[in-house]
Amino acid sequence: MITVKNLHKSFGKTEVLKGIDYHVEKGEKIVIIGPSGSGKSTFLRCMNLLEQPTSGEIWFDGKEITNPGTNINKVREHMGMVFQNFNLFNNLTILENITLAPTKLKRAEKEEARQRAESLLKRVNLLEKADAYPSQLSGGQRQRIAIVRSLAMNPKVMLFDEPTSALDPEMVGEVLDVMKELADDGMTMVVVTHEMGFAREVGSKVVFVDEGIIMEENTPGEFFENPRNPRLKDFLSKVL
Amino acid sequence: MNEWFADIAYKFQIAFLDGDRYKLYLKGLGVTLQISLFAAILGVAIGTVVALMKLSVKKDGKRTFLSVLAQAYIDVIRGTPSVLQLLIMWFIVMKGCKNGILVAVLTFGINSGAYVAEIMRAGILAVDHGQMEAGRSLGLSKGQTMRYIILPQAIKNVLPPIGNEFIVLLKETAIVGYVSLSDLTRTASQVSSRTFEAFMPLVGAAVIYFIIIKILSKLIELLERRLRKGDHR
Repeated sequence: MITVKNLHKSFGKTEVLKGIDYHVEKGEKIVIIGPSGSGKSTFLRCMNLLEQPTSGEIWFDGKEITNPGTNINKVREHMGMVFQNFNLFNNLTILENITLAPTKLKRAEKEEARQRAESLLKRVNLLEKADAYPSQLSGGQRQRIAIVRSLAMNPKVMLFDEPTSALDPEMVGEVLDVMKELADDGMTMVVVTHEMGFAREVGSKVVFVDEGIIMEENTPGEFFENPRNPRLKDFLSKVL
Repeated sequence: MNEWFADIAYKFQIAFLDGDRYKLYLKGLGVTLQISLFAAILGVAIGTVVALMKLSVKKDGKRTFLSVLAQAYIDVIRGTPSVLQLLIMWFIVMKGCKNGILVAVLTFGINSGAYVAEIMRAGILAVDHGQMEAGRSLGLSKGQTMRYIILPQAIKNVLPPIGNEFIVLLKETAIVGYVSLSDLTRTASQVSSRTFEAFMPLVGAAVIYFIIIKILSKLIELLERRLRKGDHR
């Protein structure tokens, strides 16, 4: 579903990604871990071109999206993204946050979008917040809304950029639960996270990124029980 | 004491009542308000467009031609006195135009646009970058995200300085006397030279400006409070 070929990304003189090749199959749940500054978030953000790669190719659904001729807005309609800082639209109510993109992009009529938004809100137990503004919600609630906002577009893949890193500890669980549900429903997911429990439980593959390259990739069991790369061993010894 | 009151009453009479002079002030106020209102609308429109132009960047991060153009406009307008801009519009650019109010509206609109542009630019930059990213990640274009997400938040951010700008603009229109438009200030000064009595007309005009601006700032305050309904920070 997503193929990354020889991806390089530099910010000024700093080379953050030094040649990444990767392939995500439909239905896979890829969990990316690594130390801070390793390039894992940049890697994820390149997948929907929020970061423009310096070189390399990214293919999504049989189309090369790094090709300048591709309409990236159309591509992004099918790739949901959840951010560390939620990034709910502060000037809109929760319901408007969810229905804005589907209605403006002519994916649904107003009424249809509203109904879909309400059923999604019900799924995450936040229907009563439909008319609230983001600033009136807790971090965990905001992040669940952010997930719902992406889902309203019926994406083929969901990208998560450290979705629980800005949350108070007691709110991490509620967000992970929504993500697990999503995984059970068969959603293709790429998740950058520090939640090792989630990686082990939900991930179909775990990827270790450090110094701008993929250092190791394996099934969760092997990845955590039998790490081979010394940097990964070192990393795991610190976080587990 | 009585004499003093009588004197004041007399001065008031010749300044405002004789020959129905109060109508002149009202007419002058009308001119002032007309110019200010339309110039403010024009200024906000120009300012928003110019702010977006100035913020535009190419894919490689370099400034666009539009951005350079916007900067040039801002530099020229801010770098020259508004009286001169008015005279240049009146005697050169729109020479032959009989509608003085139109010339004044365009002059002040173009002038105010440069200041509004910088205010709007600051307001847009103050909106968290994540808002744009979230919009784009959903498939919305840059323009759509700007229109539905960024600008509404930016406008809320800039209401206090925009209110400031409106107030400055309203008072700045007092220079239209230079091109013989009878606004409130010019009317007051004409009355004072006709009656050889300066105090009442001039202070009277000042009081009218003061009241109008007080009302204006109240309105902006109300608007600000309404737009803050989404904030509970």
